[in-house]
Amino acid sequence: MSYDFILYLVINTVAVLATAPLFVSLIKKVKAWTQGRCGPSVFQTYYTIAKLLKKEVIYSSRSSRIMRVTPLVNIAAMLVAALFVPLVFVPEPVGGIGNIILFLYLLALAKFFMALAGLDAGSSFGGMGSSREMSISAIIEPTTIIVFAALAFVFKTLNIFDMFARSAASGTITTPILILIGISLFIILIVETSRIPVDNPETHLELTMIHEGMILEQSGRNLALMELSAAIKLTLLVALLVNLILPFGLATSLSFAGLVVAAVLFVVKGTVLSGIIGLFESSMAKMRFFQLPSLFAMAFFFSTLIIIIEVFA
Amino acid sequence: MYTELFLIAVALLASGFFIPLVFYSRDSRIVRTLASSCTILAAVFLGMVSVPILLGGNAIAFTAYQPIILFSLSFVIDRLAAFFLLIIAVVSACVAVYATEYYEHLGGGSRRNLLSGGTSLFILAMVLVVASANTISFFFFWELMAASSFILVMYEYDQPETRKAGIFYFVMTQLSTMFILFGIIALYARTGSFAFSAAGSPATPLIIVSFLSLFVGFSIKGGIIPFHKWLPYAHPASPAPVSALMSGVMLKIAVYGLVRFLLDVFSPDLWWGILILMFGSLSAVLGVIYALKEHDIKGMLAYSSIENIGIIFMGIGLFVIFNAINLPLLATISLLGALFHSLNHALFKSLLFLSAGSVVHATHTRDIEHMGGLAHRMPWTSALFFTGAVAIAALPPLNGFASEILIFISIFSSIAVVDPLLKVLLLVCLALFALTSALSAACFVKAFGSVFLALPRSPESAGAQEVPPAMLIGPGILAIACIFLGLGAYQLFLFAGFSVPLPDMLFIGFLLLLMAALISILLYFTASRAERTSETWGCGTHFQEASAEYTGHGFSEPLDIIFSSIYRTRIRNERVFFDKKNCIFREGTAEIRLMKVFEEYLYLPLAQFTVRFATLVSRFQNGCLDTYLLYVFVTVIAVILFLGWF
Repeated sequence: MSYDFILYLVINTVAVLATAPLFVSLIKKVKAWTQGRCGPSVFQTYYTIAKLLKKEVIYSSRSSRIMRVTPLVNIAAMLVAALFVPLVFVPEPVGGIGNIILFLYLLALAKFFMALAGLDAGSSFGGMGSSREMSISAIIEPTTIIVFAALAFVFKTLNIFDMFARSAASGTITTPILILIGISLFIILIVETSRIPVDNPETHLELTMIHEGMILEQSGRNLALMELSAAIKLTLLVALLVNLILPFGLATSLSFAGLVVAAVLFVVKGTVLSGIIGLFESSMAKMRFFQLPSLFAMAFFFSTLIIIIEVFA
Repeated sequence: MYTELFLIAVALLASGFFIPLVFYSRDSRIVRTLASSCTILAAVFLGMVSVPILLGGNAIAFTAYQPIILFSLSFVIDRLAAFFLLIIAVVSACVAVYATEYYEHLGGGSRRNLLSGGTSLFILAMVLVVASANTISFFFFWELMAASSFILVMYEYDQPETRKAGIFYFVMTQLSTMFILFGIIALYARTGSFAFSAAGSPATPLIIVSFLSLFVGFSIKGGIIPFHKWLPYAHPASPAPVSALMSGVMLKIAVYGLVRFLLDVFSPDLWWGILILMFGSLSAVLGVIYALKEHDIKGMLAYSSIENIGIIFMGIGLFVIFNAINLPLLATISLLGALFHSLNHALFKSLLFLSAGSVVHATHTRDIEHMGGLAHRMPWTSALFFTGAVAIAALPPLNGFASEILIFISIFSSIAVVDPLLKVLLLVCLALFALTSALSAACFVKAFGSVFLALPRSPESAGAQEVPPAMLIGPGILAIACIFLGLGAYQLFLFAGFSVPLPDMLFIGFLLLLMAALISILLYFTASRAERTSETWGCGTHFQEASAEYTGHGFSEPLDIIFSSIYRTRIRNERVFFDKKNCIFREGTAEIRLMKVFEEYLYLPLAQFTVRFATLVSRFQNGCLDTYLLYVFVTVIAVILFLGWF
C-alpha cells in the first residue's frame, strides 16, 4: 500500500464526514423555500448531530445486542463504502477497494442490520419500516445492478476509481449514454436515500415512514450515528453521480492546490445536485406503496434500454 | 499413503454404520456416540486425504473389486473429487458432533441406533459416489445414497406428514436414479465404456439424449425447479442433522455429478450452457420467492437451498457458455464461483439447519410465528444462526458474498465481449440474480427477526432454554469456517493457485474493524456515555404485547402482494348487504387460498395420468386362470409366427 493511498483514506474519510450533513440540510432548505418557508440553517444537521451526541441512550428492555451494535456496524459499513467513492482525489485502487459490486453490498450490509434493529424492540412501527425497506430494496435491486452493469460496460472496468479516472481523463464533455445512465442513477439515489416519492424523510406518519420507522427506537449517540450514516449514504450517491457525469476538477494526482480546487468544486457540484433533489422532491407527491413496483419497473426498462442501445449501437 | 488413509476413513464410516446395528437391542448413548466418533474420525482422515490433493497433489486411483472386465468398483480422487470430499468431511464432522447430543433428545428408543448408523452409511455412500472412477460405481453408490437417505427421512414414520414426505422423496429420488441410469446407458451405447472418458466432440443425438437425461436426474436430486417438490417436504420431516446433511452435502453431490460429466465426458455446446443457466436462474429466483412465503423454519431453509442450488447451476451454465464461445478466463471464474458457492452453501446451510434444529428442539414448534424473543433465551444459538443468516444473505465480509461476487464479476465482465443476443440473456440473468440476492436478504431478516428478536409469541418460546454444548460446538465450527472462508477468500484462491479478481476481503474486514474502532474511540471521548434500559415510546400504548409485534406474515406481506401473480394467491371476498346501495353489511365470506402451482399443475396431473395408465394396465391382470392361459396361448402363437416368418 502506497503512501498516497493511506493519505487518500484519511482525506476521503474526513471529506465525507465534513460534507455529508451539509447536503442533507441543503435539500431541506430548498424544500422549505419552495414551500414559502425560511427553513432551518444549512448547518442544522451538524447541530442536530452534536446535540444528539450529548443525549442519553435509551434501550428498550426487549431489545437485544442487535440494537446495540447496529449503529456502529452501520457507520463502519458506510465509512468503508465511502472509501470506494473518491470525492476529491482518485488514487490507484488497492486490494479491491472501489469494486462496484462490493460497494453495493456494503450498503446492503448496513441495510440488513438496520432492518433487524427495526424488528428488535418489537414495536409495530419498526417492523413496518423494516418490512417496507427490505421489500423496496429487493425490487429496486435489478435496476441498480443493471445500471452498474451499464457503467461497467461503458467504462470497461468494475472499479469505481478507474471509472472516475477515465471519466476525468476524457474531459468535461459527457456523452448521451452517460446522461441516460445519470438519470437512472438519480432514480436509484432517490430510492436508496428514502426520498419522495418512495418515502418521506420528513415525517413519522405510519403511512409514509420507511427509513424513519426503522430508526424510531434509536436515541442519543446511536441516533446520531444513524443520521450520520444516512447523510453519508446520500453524499456517496451524490458523489458517484456528479463525479461520473461532471468529472471536471477531480484530482488524479496529489497536490495541495489540486485538492483544494477539487474540494471546492465538489461542494459546488453537490450543492447544485442537492438543489435539484430538493426541487424534484417538492414537485412530487408521495406515491402509494404498491404503486412503487411500477415506478421501479419503468426505471428498470429505462436502464435496460440504455444497455440495449449501447449494445446494438 | 493417501490410498490407505482413504481406506481407513471408509472402514471407519462402515464401522460407524455397523456398530449401532450390531448393538441394536441396546438403547444406550455410548453406542451412538461411538458411531458418531467414528464419523468424526473418518472426516479427519478424509480431510487429510483431500486437502493435499486439492492444493495440487497427485490424484490417487485404485480398483476395489472387479468381477468381470466391464464392471468394476474403482475409485479415483482427483482435484475435483477432493474438493467435494472436503465438503463432505467438514460438514459431516460438525453434524456428527451435533448429533451426539441431538439424537439423545429424540423419541424412538433403540430406533435411534438405526438413525445413527444410517447417518454414517449415508455419509459413506456420498463419499464413495464422489470417489467413483466410473459410471457403474457412481450409479451403484448413488442408489445407496438415495436408499440410505430415504431411511433417514422416514425416521418419524408414525407422523402422517413424514409418510407423505417419504413417498414424495422416494418417488422423486427413484425418478432421479432412473434418469441417471438411462443417461449412463445411452453414454455406454455411444462410447462402449463405463469410464468417465470423453464421449467425442460433435454431439450426436445419443449424446444429447444422454446429457439431457443426466441433467434431469441431477436436477431432481439438486432440487432444481420444477423438479424440486421433494425438498420442502423431506427437509422439515427429517431430524435436523439429516436435513443438514441432505441440504448441505447431498445436493452438492448432484452438483458434483453434473460438473464431473460436463468436464470429463461431454464437450458441451452453447445451448447446453444456456439451458443450465436458464434452469438455474429460474430456480434461484422462484426458490427465494417461495422461501419468503414459508413459515415453517425448515421449509424456508429448504426453499432457500433450492435458490442456492439455482445460483450454483447459474455458475455452471455460465462456465459452459463461456467455454463454448472461447472465453476460458471467464469460464474458469464462473466455475470457481459455482464450486466455491457449493462449499459455502454446504457450510452455512448446514449451520442454519443445525441451529434451526436447536430452536425447534427448544420451542417444540417449527412455525416461526410461534417463536420470537429467543435472542435473550438462547444467545449462543442466536449468534450462530445470525452468522449463517449474514453469510447466506451474501453480505460482506462473509463467505456467501465471496462466491456470489465471483459469479457477478463473470457476468459483468462478459457483457462487453459476447454477441448481442447472448448479452440480452446475460442481462436478464444478472437482473434475476440481483433480485434473488436482495430477496434472500429480506428473507433472512424476516427469519432472524421473527425467530430471535422482540417478544416471545408463545409460551413454549418464552420458556425456551439454551441447548447443550455439543449442539453449539458443531455449528460453531461451521460458523467459524464461514467467517474464515469469507475473510480469506482471496488469499485461499491464491494459495490454491488461482488468480481471481476478488476484492481482498481481509483488507475490507480490517477496514470495517478499523472504522468501528475509530468511531468508538471518538464517541468515547466526545459523546455522552449515559445509558438506560427502559420502555421506549410505543406510540401512546401503555405497555407492549407480543400480539402487537410485526409477525413473519406481516413482514413478507408487501412482497406477497408484489409477487402475488407468482404465488397465485386467490383472494375471494363475498359480501351481502341489507340495502341496495351496499352500505349496511349483512354477512360475507372471505378466503385466501394459496395455490401450490407446481403441485397442482405439474405433479398431480402427472400422477393422475400414471394412475390412470396403471389402472388400464391392471385390467390385464384380473386374477382369473383362464385369462392367463389365454395370454400364454397368444404368446406361443405369436412366437411361432415370428420364428416362422423371420
